Amino acid sequence: MSQNTATAPATTIEPDEDRTLIDRLRSMQSIWILGVLVVIVAVFGVLQPTLFLAYNNLMNIAQNVSIWAVIAVGMTFVIITSGIDLSVGSVLVFSSVISAKVMASIGDKGWSTAIIGTVIALVSGLLWGALNGWLVAKAKVPALIVTLGTLSIALGAAQIITGGIDIRSAPEVLQTTVGYGRVAGVPVITVLALVVVVLGGIVLHRTKFGRYTFAIGSNELAARRVGIAVDRKLIEVYALAGLLSGLAGQMALAQYGTTTIAGQSLTNLNVIAAVVIGGTSIFGGQGSMLGTMVGLFIPAVLLSGFVITGVSPFWQTVAVGAILITAVYIDQHRRAAAARGGRARARTRRTASPSEAPAAQ
Amino acid sequence: MSFRKYAVLSAAAAVALAGCSTASSGGATSGGGGNNNKTIAFVQGVAGDQFYITMQCGIEAKAKELGYTVTTQGPQKFDPTLQKPIIDSVVASKPAALLVAPTDVSAMQAPLEQAAKAGIKVVLVDTTVNDPSFAVSQISSDNVGGGKAAFDAIQQAKPNGGKVLVISTDPGVSTVDARVKGFEDAVKTDSKFNYLGVQYSHDDPATAAQLVTSALQKDPDIVGIFATNLFAAEGSATGVKQSGKTGITIVSFDAGPNQIKDLQDGTIQALVAQQPGVIGQDGVEQAVNALTGKTTTATIQTGFTIITKDNLSGEGGAAAYKSSCS
Repeated sequence: MSQNTATAPATTIEPDEDRTLIDRLRSMQSIWILGVLVVIVAVFGVLQPTLFLAYNNLMNIAQNVSIWAVIAVGMTFVIITSGIDLSVGSVLVFSSVISAKVMASIGDKGWSTAIIGTVIALVSGLLWGALNGWLVAKAKVPALIVTLGTLSIALGAAQIITGGIDIRSAPEVLQTTVGYGRVAGVPVITVLALVVVVLGGIVLHRTKFGRYTFAIGSNELAARRVGIAVDRKLIEVYALAGLLSGLAGQMALAQYGTTTIAGQSLTNLNVIAAVVIGGTSIFGGQGSMLGTMVGLFIPAVLLSGFVITGVSPFWQTVAVGAILITAVYIDQHRRAAAARGGRARARTRRTASPSEAPAAQ
Repeated sequence: MSFRKYAVLSAAAAVALAGCSTASSGGATSGGGGNNNKTIAFVQGVAGDQFYITMQCGIEAKAKELGYTVTTQGPQKFDPTLQKPIIDSVVASKPAALLVAPTDVSAMQAPLEQAAKAGIKVVLVDTTVNDPSFAVSQISSDNVGGGKAAFDAIQQAKPNGGKVLVISTDPGVSTVDARVKGFEDAVKTDSKFNYLGVQYSHDDPATAAQLVTSALQKDPDIVGIFATNLFAAEGSATGVKQSGKTGITIVSFDAGPNQIKDLQDGTIQALVAQQPGVIGQDGVEQAVNALTGKTTTATIQTGFTIITKDNLSGEGGAAAYKSSCS
């Protein structure tokens, strides 16, 4: 539901003492998808308890979604503004190429080199993101077209710089410590991703920046009318997505030890699917960081579970596609119910006031 | 969403997980470790490719003979970022041995080392990694020799020489790089031939077709094209058709059903067939040797069969790749 439809019946709720915890949970957009994840985990847990639920396997799943998680944080912001960013995979590759190139030219394999490389990757991602944002906000080119364009340009540029040959000279400290190191049994790369996700969640749900993001996606014109600098915010949102793709590029270097120029081909679609499965509306104005994380884990858990139970990998893509469509169907269903103002399952009443609405997802 | 809700949710998730892990403590032992573990996992470079399917057939046949069961998995694309999660999950399923075609020499190094560390016998089939010392054995075609064989085929078809082009997949794939090198070395020894270099099709037939039509636009007098794998060959054949050219000798690596059909139709003139079935059989043999404490061979190179229209009914036809094992 968009904010304006939600406002009217909203006020009845907050004083409603009878509303139980269950009610409040049920009203959350992402709660049912979390239920789906729990069911999937439980099913595989019953089928292969010793193997699937092994600590190492769970940590591997977490490790394998870490890079996507960082990108997905930025993607959640972008999609909430009712935009899209197809270029994330290419920006990741470009940033890792630039970073690897610089680190190779320094020659030293220590931490200082790794840190310089990280800064380079972040700056590279930020610039690509800012370019996306500027083209979307100021040049008024649709986000789908802009980022489809930068998808090609960034990948092509990476291929020009390298001649298409992967650079494999990332500092070893990066791979041993960040890529495959563990702190307290948790992969370092996952800890890193978790920090980004928590910060992203706080910014999205607890700050003015986050509220403006929701406001723009909900009704851009209204956001302009109340004095939000929409263009600047949009540039900032895309720049954030780019910055995080740059960080993901450095993380990919740490994980794979190579620039994976030919890889990352499905990264953008996988991340977008995760964000949408997680309840973020492709029409903007609605979404949550928690939902995105659940949306990321569903395909990852399915993949791992299918492999361990010996199901053909083709079924994983089928299952993810089906869940994606179901997620959007339910989202639409709830919107329609909310638009009718009925007491339907949507429970739109939870949004207490327009200003609090964005934070209540 | 409020922090309270976060807290509630994470608590719910924790409860759910705890519930599952309780179940696991009393759980079954299916597929677990131990000496009586008779499972062999095979991770392909890409799912649905006839080369890997034929290899899978060889693996399954040999494994059945030796009393082992095989599970096969593969990523949607020949992409290390998609293969790594699969390998991690396969390792978690604790097979006795893992036959794997790594999709990148660097990116797959650490995940496969971890597999070996977990006590799984790792055999590298077809492709390899930077430091394969953890592997029981690596088995692949003599790809440099294969590249040379491809040039020989062009040489035979076009004794007067001319311009030749290579359509490869992606740089950094060890086997394909070796084929290109073998071809390049061979072409340089014959001054009648003018080598136009290598173009990368990223394992996409449509891209290969575009590359070939563009190359023919620039150099209409190309006499021979060497396509380094299945998709590159299918694309090259399409590209030549689109340009309306005839008389160009296309030599392809690999021998999938479409390539055999192209050979019959005269679109492709010769195929350099690898022996994926043999690679698979040898892989299982080496893995089982390692499991039963017998000696293993560190590197094995398998040969080629050159298929032309002439030997298609006999030896050549038998070397063609399969779309399914039955």
